[in-house]
Amino acid sequence: MIRPVLLAVVAAAALAFPHVVTANYFIHLAVLAMVWMIVAAGTNVIQGYAGYVSIAQGGFMGIGAYSSALLSLDAGVPVWLAISVAPFITALAALIAGYPSLRVRGHYFAILTLAMNMVIYIVLVNWIPVTGGEAGTTGIPAPEPISIGTLEISFERRVNYYYLVLAALALTMLIVTAVVRSRVGRVLEAIRQNETFAEAAGVACWKYKLFAFVISASLAGFAGALYAHYMSFISPAPFSVDHSLNAILAVILGGSGTLTGPLVGAALTVALPEVLRIAEIFRLIIYGFALVVVVIFLPRGLVPWIADLAGRDWKLPRAQSAESR
Amino acid sequence: MRRLGVLTIAAAIAFSPLATRAAEKTLTIGVSDALSGGGAVYGVPEKRAIDLAIEQINAAGGIAVGKDKYKLAAIVYDDKADPTEATNVARKLIDRDGVKYLLGYCCSASTGAVASIIGREDAIMLVGTAGARAITSAGHKNVFRTRPPGDYTGDAAGRFIASQGVKRLGVVAARDVALFTQYRDALIKAFESEGGKVVAVETFGGQDRDMTAQLTKVRGLEPDAYFISGYVEQVAFAHRQAHELGIKAPRFGFSGGSAAQFLRVASAEAMEGVWDLIAIEFNAEALGENAKNYAKAYEAKWKEYPTPNSAFAYDQVYVLKAALEAAGTVDDLEAVKKALRNLTVPKEVVLRYLPVDGKMFDPKGQAYISNGAFQFRNGNWVFVKELPSDAAAYSKFFQTVRD
Amino acid sequence: MLVDLLQQLFNGLVIGSIYTLVALGLTIIFGILGIAHFAHGSVAMFGGYLTYFLILALGIGVFPAMALAMAGGALLGVVLERVAYYPVRNAPPINSFIIALGLTLIIEKSNLLLFGVDQIIVPTGFNRIFTIGGLALPELRIYILLTAAALVVALTILIQKSWMGMAVRAVAQNRAAAILMGINVHAVSMFVFALSSALGVAAGVLVGALFAIAPGVSGGLVVKGFAVLILGGLGSIPGAIVGGLVLGVSETFASAFVSSAYKDVIAFLLMIGVLLVKPEGIMRRSVAR
Repeated sequence: MIRPVLLAVVAAAALAFPHVVTANYFIHLAVLAMVWMIVAAGTNVIQGYAGYVSIAQGGFMGIGAYSSALLSLDAGVPVWLAISVAPFITALAALIAGYPSLRVRGHYFAILTLAMNMVIYIVLVNWIPVTGGEAGTTGIPAPEPISIGTLEISFERRVNYYYLVLAALALTMLIVTAVVRSRVGRVLEAIRQNETFAEAAGVACWKYKLFAFVISASLAGFAGALYAHYMSFISPAPFSVDHSLNAILAVILGGSGTLTGPLVGAALTVALPEVLRIAEIFRLIIYGFALVVVVIFLPRGLVPWIADLAGRDWKLPRAQSAESR
Repeated sequence: MRRLGVLTIAAAIAFSPLATRAAEKTLTIGVSDALSGGGAVYGVPEKRAIDLAIEQINAAGGIAVGKDKYKLAAIVYDDKADPTEATNVARKLIDRDGVKYLLGYCCSASTGAVASIIGREDAIMLVGTAGARAITSAGHKNVFRTRPPGDYTGDAAGRFIASQGVKRLGVVAARDVALFTQYRDALIKAFESEGGKVVAVETFGGQDRDMTAQLTKVRGLEPDAYFISGYVEQVAFAHRQAHELGIKAPRFGFSGGSAAQFLRVASAEAMEGVWDLIAIEFNAEALGENAKNYAKAYEAKWKEYPTPNSAFAYDQVYVLKAALEAAGTVDDLEAVKKALRNLTVPKEVVLRYLPVDGKMFDPKGQAYISNGAFQFRNGNWVFVKELPSDAAAYSKFFQTVRD
Repeated sequence: MLVDLLQQLFNGLVIGSIYTLVALGLTIIFGILGIAHFAHGSVAMFGGYLTYFLILALGIGVFPAMALAMAGGALLGVVLERVAYYPVRNAPPINSFIIALGLTLIIEKSNLLLFGVDQIIVPTGFNRIFTIGGLALPELRIYILLTAAALVVALTILIQKSWMGMAVRAVAQNRAAAILMGINVHAVSMFVFALSSALGVAAGVLVGALFAIAPGVSGGLVVKGFAVLILGGLGSIPGAIVGGLVLGVSETFASAFVSSAYKDVIAFLLMIGVLLVKPEGIMRRSVAR
């Protein structure tokens, strides 16, 4: 019974945040953290529920970011429309790339997605007339202002963009929750636990896997679009394999196959470098150790572990079967 | 290992001004430069030159602003020459550290990214070595640059290559760094207008170190000469591989690295006779007394000879000093911008600037210097001649472009 | 024109021989232990850095330094197996893969920390260039081909003739039966990691001599290795040899005749192509794990 209360507290805190912490820099970090939460929540669908590691989430974020940015810059599409279309463009790319890739299992799939991310990166870097190459694309507009009566809400203001991304995150969580609590979600868990068995039971596993892959990718694309219009500048660098690993880390760290875990994980990966104020190189080494240690000693992740420690009857969705992850 | 040392120094500098010298007035400036990665060959020397200038200015009593004397301190971040990292760094400097003056900036892509957002920010940006045209041509009122854009030099270089009797030129160049592509396009245009023919344009990317396939292909077309341009780390490989492929035709280039930086990759034999056609950055032979003193001081402090591009960064600090003293304020950015715009060339600078209408910066905040041809002979770069270049005419053209 | 084609072919073979070495290390680990040892590229780079510093510190030649570094690499391989992979040997494959990603981060960034971010070129002193009718054959590139070939031969002999090699083959064919026969599977695992890491180090040294060792090189290398592994067939030594050379040559030709910008896409296309044409062969093997 503690869950609704906790949810309300978190929501209230999120809404109040920009008024409590007014320093521009922290609002900036909060926006970035929420963008990464969206990516992590998406990654969780394929990784946490279906049990397939996709190392292409960073690349898909890039597809979303560039398609939304270029649609609004070059094609003159309104920004709101561009952001809404970006997840679907990303989904299409994931569908095309995922169809052959999901015919193979396990490590092969992971390697293929890694290569996919590299290809996306190579295209972003080399398709210079369209993407601007490594120098990137500048002058990406913020969403058009909304007028409510006499009140005009401009999204060039950081606080307003914060609420936009917060709303996007809430929408993402609604979608992910709906997916994992549906029949599809149960089939995905069956695939994770024993794909051969699920196949033998007459489930066309590849359809479900493809669906999970596409959902994950399109959410990453959505996050990418939000990122692009926030930063007003994008280059290929944030969409490299390193950032796909970041998303995987967020899911593992927080607790894969749980709804809240990836969010906590994503927030940690953004907050840690700021809190620790250490050179990035140490941070990445710490991330590496965190991955190894968590997989060996805490395979369920932080959130379920803390929930257990707290001794609550805080029944996370399918925490009970996490040991077979 | 050396880089680690630099990072430690950067960190030390980053945290020390908060603790010390609280009593006297301190103006903290932000420095964003590539201290690691491929751009570090330009960024680290820039940072060192800035450190040197700050040390000298502080030792001489600081900057006289109105009645106050300000000592300078710097917060230094590594932007890795990466555009996204550089925008993050700018954000940190402005939003978190409250810095108003940003210096450094060695590399086109990262600097271009920051320049694209700086127009909205309450800060002044002084750009060092980054040569992409749009950084200043976009016309942001708070961006000033000591280094002339790539195409200004490329035009002079194209005419020079044609004057050397080259009829057929093979080009192997960096694919997408604006500095190099704009230089290359201007070079090709000038070379062809002098009656030359470009037989092939082959490119390489930011991570490539194997240009053998491209060079072999161009070799098959038998050009009279090659033009190879890009960042030092890569171009040195191209020269090494050209040598390995038995290419004997003259090789012209545009990189602006020191001899030591080239020799880390390619042998002196592979480099012999290679041309570098660049703005006359730093060269104690070609420049005057200031340059000799600068080289001496830099060598004493950093135990190595200054790289050519480092002088742009050194001059930035003295430009800032002169402008602050002229404006009589460190807080009123509008006054400082105005002072920068009306600045005559300060006497402490190392490079020989070509003023436009008597002022160091033209209306878009761009400064100019002359161009020169250098050749690699017996293990070192030798200044051969100045290339004819018309700063006033280019500046007029420059006011009309935005990219 | 013919000379140019031969020149490109030669250059492609040199690069392909390095891919072969990388793929051999990956394929024996994947084929025998079922682990996608993603950190292999970082281990290779570690070996390259180590060789560079051994040459500088001890004043020895490149080959002795490389031998020492290979021994160091073998030790590192054993440590990785014991500390990181061994604890998850019975867990689902996704766990070992995430371990591999974690190790990649640790080794890659430790390389940065230990050796700095400057690109490093392994000094060899092989500067002569032989020319045969317009075909330029730099001494260094010839030595790279020869070194790779010698290592492949040595590996083949080790696997085919030695007692440990026999144990490795037995585990690869039938793990359960091998255990029943009294083969110490843990020892085999460690041996495989040692062998593979030593080969990886050799590949790293060759990359460092021919081009440079720098942050970011290892990622590309490991993906090429996996592409060769898929191309040549899992656990197949001849497959890795042929696959590596094919990839090296096709990249060089693509770079010369199609687009130098997109040459790195070839590896991906080959992977997808093979998986589409004969996925069942690959799927069968992965299920066996």
